[in-house]
Amino acid sequence: MPAIPTDQASMLQQIEQARSGNKFALAKLVSLFENQKKEMIALRQVALSFLKDNIDESSAGFFIGVTGTPGAGKSSLIGKVCETLLAQDANIRIAVLAVDPASQVSGGALLGDRTRVQFHKNRSRFYFRSQSSNKDLGGISFSTFHVLRLLRYFFDLIIIETVGIGQSEVAIKDLVDHTLLVMQPLSGDQIQFLKAGIMEIPDTFIVNKCDQEQVAKQSYHALKSSLRQYASVQAGATDRKSARLVHRLFMTSVLNGLGVEELACHLTELVKDASQRSCFQEKEMSYFEQWVKNEYGKYGERNLDQFFNAYTASLELDFLQEKFQHYMDFSRFNTS
Amino acid sequence: MENQESTVQYPGAHELDKKDRPWIFRTYAGHTNVQASNELYKANLKKGQTGLSIAFDLPTQCGYSSDDLIAQPEIGKVGVPINTLDDFDVLFKDIDIHQINTSMTINGTSMWLLSLYIALAEERGIPIASLQGTTQNDLIKEFLARGTYVFPPDASMKLIVDMYEYCLKHIPKWNPSNVCSYHLQEAGATPVQELAYSLVTAITLLDAVKARKCFSEEEFERCVGRVSFFVNAGMRFVEEMCKMRAFTELWEKITTERYGVKNPKFKRFRYGVQVNSLGLTEEQPENNAWRILIESLGVTLSRKARCRALQLPAWNEALSLPRPWDQQWSLRLQQILAFETDLLEYPDLFDGSPVVESKVEALKKEALLEIDKIMEMGGGIDAIKSGYMKAQLVDSQADRLSKINTGEQTVVGKNKWTDGVESPLMQSADGGVFKIDPEATKKTLEALANTKQQRDENRVRAALAQLEADARSEKNLMLASIECAKARVSTGEWSQVLRNVFGEYRPPTGVEGQSLSLEDGALDEVRNKIEAFVAKNGYRPRLLVGKPGLDGHSNGAEMISVAARHAGFDVIYYGIRLSAADIVNSAVEENVDLIGISLLSGSHMEIVDQIFTALSDAGADQQIPVILGGIIPKADHEILLEKGIKRIFTPRDSDLITLVNEMMDVIDSSLAT
Repeated sequence: MPAIPTDQASMLQQIEQARSGNKFALAKLVSLFENQKKEMIALRQVALSFLKDNIDESSAGFFIGVTGTPGAGKSSLIGKVCETLLAQDANIRIAVLAVDPASQVSGGALLGDRTRVQFHKNRSRFYFRSQSSNKDLGGISFSTFHVLRLLRYFFDLIIIETVGIGQSEVAIKDLVDHTLLVMQPLSGDQIQFLKAGIMEIPDTFIVNKCDQEQVAKQSYHALKSSLRQYASVQAGATDRKSARLVHRLFMTSVLNGLGVEELACHLTELVKDASQRSCFQEKEMSYFEQWVKNEYGKYGERNLDQFFNAYTASLELDFLQEKFQHYMDFSRFNTS
Repeated sequence: MENQESTVQYPGAHELDKKDRPWIFRTYAGHTNVQASNELYKANLKKGQTGLSIAFDLPTQCGYSSDDLIAQPEIGKVGVPINTLDDFDVLFKDIDIHQINTSMTINGTSMWLLSLYIALAEERGIPIASLQGTTQNDLIKEFLARGTYVFPPDASMKLIVDMYEYCLKHIPKWNPSNVCSYHLQEAGATPVQELAYSLVTAITLLDAVKARKCFSEEEFERCVGRVSFFVNAGMRFVEEMCKMRAFTELWEKITTERYGVKNPKFKRFRYGVQVNSLGLTEEQPENNAWRILIESLGVTLSRKARCRALQLPAWNEALSLPRPWDQQWSLRLQQILAFETDLLEYPDLFDGSPVVESKVEALKKEALLEIDKIMEMGGGIDAIKSGYMKAQLVDSQADRLSKINTGEQTVVGKNKWTDGVESPLMQSADGGVFKIDPEATKKTLEALANTKQQRDENRVRAALAQLEADARSEKNLMLASIECAKARVSTGEWSQVLRNVFGEYRPPTGVEGQSLSLEDGALDEVRNKIEAFVAKNGYRPRLLVGKPGLDGHSNGAEMISVAARHAGFDVIYYGIRLSAADIVNSAVEENVDLIGISLLSGSHMEIVDQIFTALSDAGADQQIPVILGGIIPKADHEILLEKGIKRIFTPRDSDLITLVNEMMDVIDSSLAT
């Protein structure tokens, strides 16, 4: 039983089935885009050019990255917001890609985000996929990038959930149109983020688990004042900028539904607003640059053009890796 | 046989030179439907049982009526189904509920079942003040180990406090909750963890009662006196006896120091016991009879720490639900111990023993350290929310299993002296196991339909509206619930109203951040196999683990998940209370190589059928192999394998790495076809 398509004809058939709503076919395509075997590179190229030719770029999906410390309740909140979005809009199709870290010892991973997303209605318009970050440090994996290139052709909204704070947000920022940061109330998270300079990354701040009104109010004021403070120490920051930041601040509770409707409306507006979208090719390139710098250091930076040419020829990072293998002492994405 | 009537009185210290009274004899029972369970209770009482211990089926425990889709495979499987007051009337037919002491193993919906009991008494014209018994009602251990929670921790705690407030004033002989260390031991707790976590539970409870400020000082002292415990006793019976003495001493310390209780009567550690099922083996099950006897000694030998009530599992519990004869055999053990031996004639046998005293001191010291640690973390509710206690238990369980696997801990018939003559006990026509008549659920569903047809719908609507209003305004919900009971509201309807108000809780699992110490040759072999798979196929093998149905015993599923990750699988852990459609939808979306489901409720036949139907509906027929774990009677294996299950793992297969290895074999042979 092949778990993924292995030839061009069956792959194109899977695409057709996936477009008509067959989830198993879509899931197999996702597996193809995660697969690390060299033979899959050519198949992916065919798939991507087929999709590019047959699906209007303007109907491609909007990417939202959701990040925050473990325990902030990201998965439950995403589940609740998706449920609300699906109920509000009878046509919207949503995919969630939940990325969790792998064990550095065995390479295996425990992907438990699904336990927090429970709903049965509108199942046909919702797709949830768990992914391991492999042995990559940081919040998103190498194959996250690959899978996003696929999912954008099938869904209106693609939510990428990642753990941790630090490097990963930089990477995710490069890939998505909008970043949400989920925090716990009164946990001191915001102070940590201020210190680390991370406040400049998220587009929307969420204080989750505001199950009690008192907690919600306290958190709101605490975060609002740190944002103001942050804005005022930023060179050239104006009052208007800080006002904009405060506007994108939500208090939510999955337990009693606080703020969930509002957040869902906010996301709907973003999805509909063309000005919120950055060009995917640009995102792709900036992710690519970041990736080359991480992977090949100064050498990569100096030879970016050369890398870029190789990349546009193949549209595959794996391919680059192979091509430039001789410059590397080791490969982080070695499959064995 | 003297003094049996007076078991509700407790001997004071001055009475210790008199002969002790026997404990209450119970058997945990209930199955099929209310008619069959009623017959069983009457028969058990005739055999000399002195209290009832009611087992409810999973839908009743989780707040679903029998006509709910998720309930259907589970009706009457692990206990009796209760939908409305009409069911309760049949369940207690010809039983004097003002005379009998009734213990109900009910948690998430305990307020509902108590309300039904009160409504039954009132409709029968019995003064409710005469009712005596216990609702188990310990939600902390449900979140940690047993899994039949319904509402989030804070709301659950509110319901428990409501019950304490109501009971103290109206049913003074009722124990509104029973702090359970029983299930903690089943989940792998060490004696120290058992002491610490159950005492933390009691403290959390009493702190919540105190915070409501609904009692005078005198009333609060009586309320402390109502807190009772439900304890486990395992094979290390000397240590277990010491654990019980440590419990009594620690409880006295806590009630005196933390709550300022003065009356010694209210400081007494009152507890009932069900002895350990975890240590019972599927292999050579007849040996379990001796294990049950030995475990009983741990909680009866020391008079100072003797249980108030005892219920024993049956010798074949690791195989299936017990038959009436199996339960009778266990009851006879209790009767022989209490009435044929001289056990009850002496004062405490261990006072002054330096060995016992030092062991008790050591246990107390360690337990107090752990209690302080949890209280510093914010107390029981916070330690549930953060997953701390759960993770500790998963660790202990992994440790216990490793010790059995390496032979460090001897289990006769399992890892030593495994050859033996087949037991004639297993050779009767029914294969030594109990089966439920599938036709019997019809009776339950018909009764529910009848009640729904005959009840006054206006009264139902008004009662449910009142319940919702009271819940939103944070009033005590007992009165509204009793009115619901009388109006013939169903279990599912009562629960749904409160779910809407309080939400439904999914606690953190024990799987995150766990590690196992299983580094040996066998592990290397599996890892090599997996690395070979990755090299060949370009991805890591993906496994989906989930528990369909309502049984909440998630520890087995969690252990497998942790072991598989440890070996190199990508494991999608999907948790509990899932429908077959949920599981299959996830397996398809995740494009997994293997589905692992775990079931302990006895509903495996129905659920396996549902899984295969759903797979074929999703176009994944024959494409994703399915394996099954849990308590699956041997007689069912062949049928399940014919249905298409690739492997069946039972408690016998406790070597996790061997198990993961076999899972890789299933995947490899499936990919090869």
